[in-house]
Amino acid sequence: MEFHQPANLDQALALLAADPEARPLAGGATLVAMMNAELVAPSALVSLRGIDELQTIEETAEGGLRIGAMLSHADLAGEARLAGGHYVVRQAAAGIAHPAVRNIGTIGGAVAHGDPSSDLPAALVAADAAIEVTGPSARRAVAAEDFFVDYLTTSLAEGEMVSAILLPAQPEGAVGHYEKFARVHGDYATLSVAVVLAMKSGECSFVRVALGAAGPTPVRVPDAEARLLGSALDAQAVRAASALLIKACDPMDDVRGSAEYRLMLVPRLLARALAAAQEGAP
Amino acid sequence: MIIEETFTVDAPLDHVWECIRDPAFVAPCVPGCQDVEDIGNGAYRAAVKVGIGPIKTMFKLEIEVLEEAPPGFARIATRGQEGTNASRLTAKSELTLSAAGDGETKVHYKSDVQVVGRLAKFGLGIMKKKAKALGAEFAENFRVAAES
Amino acid sequence: MIDITLRVNGEDRTLGVPVPLTLLEALRDDMRLTGTKNACNQGVCGACTILLDGLPVNACLILAVSAAGREIITTEGLGEGGALSLMQQAFVDAGAIQCGFCMSGMIVSATALLAENPKPSRHEIRRALAGNLCRCSGYVRVIDAVVLASERGGA
Repeated sequence: MEFHQPANLDQALALLAADPEARPLAGGATLVAMMNAELVAPSALVSLRGIDELQTIEETAEGGLRIGAMLSHADLAGEARLAGGHYVVRQAAAGIAHPAVRNIGTIGGAVAHGDPSSDLPAALVAADAAIEVTGPSARRAVAAEDFFVDYLTTSLAEGEMVSAILLPAQPEGAVGHYEKFARVHGDYATLSVAVVLAMKSGECSFVRVALGAAGPTPVRVPDAEARLLGSALDAQAVRAASALLIKACDPMDDVRGSAEYRLMLVPRLLARALAAAQEGAP
Repeated sequence: MIIEETFTVDAPLDHVWECIRDPAFVAPCVPGCQDVEDIGNGAYRAAVKVGIGPIKTMFKLEIEVLEEAPPGFARIATRGQEGTNASRLTAKSELTLSAAGDGETKVHYKSDVQVVGRLAKFGLGIMKKKAKALGAEFAENFRVAAES
Repeated sequence: MIDITLRVNGEDRTLGVPVPLTLLEALRDDMRLTGTKNACNQGVCGACTILLDGLPVNACLILAVSAAGREIITTEGLGEGGALSLMQQAFVDAGAIQCGFCMSGMIVSATALLAENPKPSRHEIRRALAGNLCRCSGYVRVIDAVVLASERGGA
């Protein structure tokens, strides 16, 4: 196995293009674990550690944020600029695994891995994020909802890699919240609900909801959001929205919970998430 | 995990039975099947490529027909491993064919599949989902092939 | 094989490593620093926790080649001149140690916590040690040990 340490993104992309069996190495929290278990055997690793342009987080002119792919979960958990609606991303990052993993795991790595039971995909869908994908000849932005395609499968084409995550400006007064139910703190979610919510005069004026660990990709149902819009987020509205979300869920059965149990959690966690976001709303 | 499929093939019962009991016919219908070899005594060896995202591996399987009552019923046992025993698989399957009128055949199979080892440890939940999808894909591939 | 130099417990160590070799394997097998333990090899149990450039990380998830040129502190390097560090002594005095297998990682994580937060609450201690699993102790005396270390003024 070869080990490359490119100094910039173009070099990294050239190395990946030259060898389809090579893999980019971000933090290694997932890739090295899989290598240790012999689930993957890359021909070469292209370390992204030395690439400065992947390590920054900037505010954009439109009031959003551009998060470099190599920002660690610990970085994001401590990032004060992830406020308001963007707080959903900060909270999701803060609950990933445990401190040692958060110190090395990266947002780019997590997004490229595309595990729907992990925390960032659902949070990014709720935040209406776009994934900045860079290939040898082009750069494109893919809506998070379209980026995650299946279990551990994204729309990255051969030779492409995640270079940044783009968060749009959130509506004024929006509050983000990530509600996660897991067997133990830091475990993969049994079910999670990511919301971005804005209220006006006691009524919901804006809402985006995405579920994690509810199917092969984050689950978002615009019709469910429509049921919440204009409502006071009363029990009936939440029930109606939950019913629509449940129809779109296809959770797995595993040690963290049966499919049936996960579906049972949907209305409960949705209610908790919306209540928590409301509490944070100005 | 249980993989169960019921589907209808627009072809007569005897023909469908011939097809489904012919490993050379069935193998190309199984997604990822690379190879199938008759090792005699109603037993076959097969290699099936499996992949979830970046994880790609090859299951080496031994399939034995334990019991059959042509043209309607067969009981099959499958044993296999991947990654030099890193994961091990056993499956007990039952296959039932019945005439569905109008020259059509109803095919029903039910497999009880157990996987232990690294793939089970890392992604049993994902595997179950993939297995269901594979079952459905096999059913469609077989139907199309048997009808042509 | 790639030649790398790691700074381990204040000393430069040069070795030739294959790319897939983890820092955990390099520490234990190549450098005979066996205080850091391998239990899960997946970054779940924390028995392999070390400090990399001051941050607690799972050594099983770091490739040795990735650690080249960086500062590594293991359990062997926490104290000065062969003596136990303040945290290690606190763990002994609080009766936190039973089989001891998780303790290197526990103590490294606790050391990192106090360096950043000298007077943590019990809740903060639990959160900081969330990635260090212990099958023996039930954790209570582990938390007591960290509180004791904090009361004694440091890490």
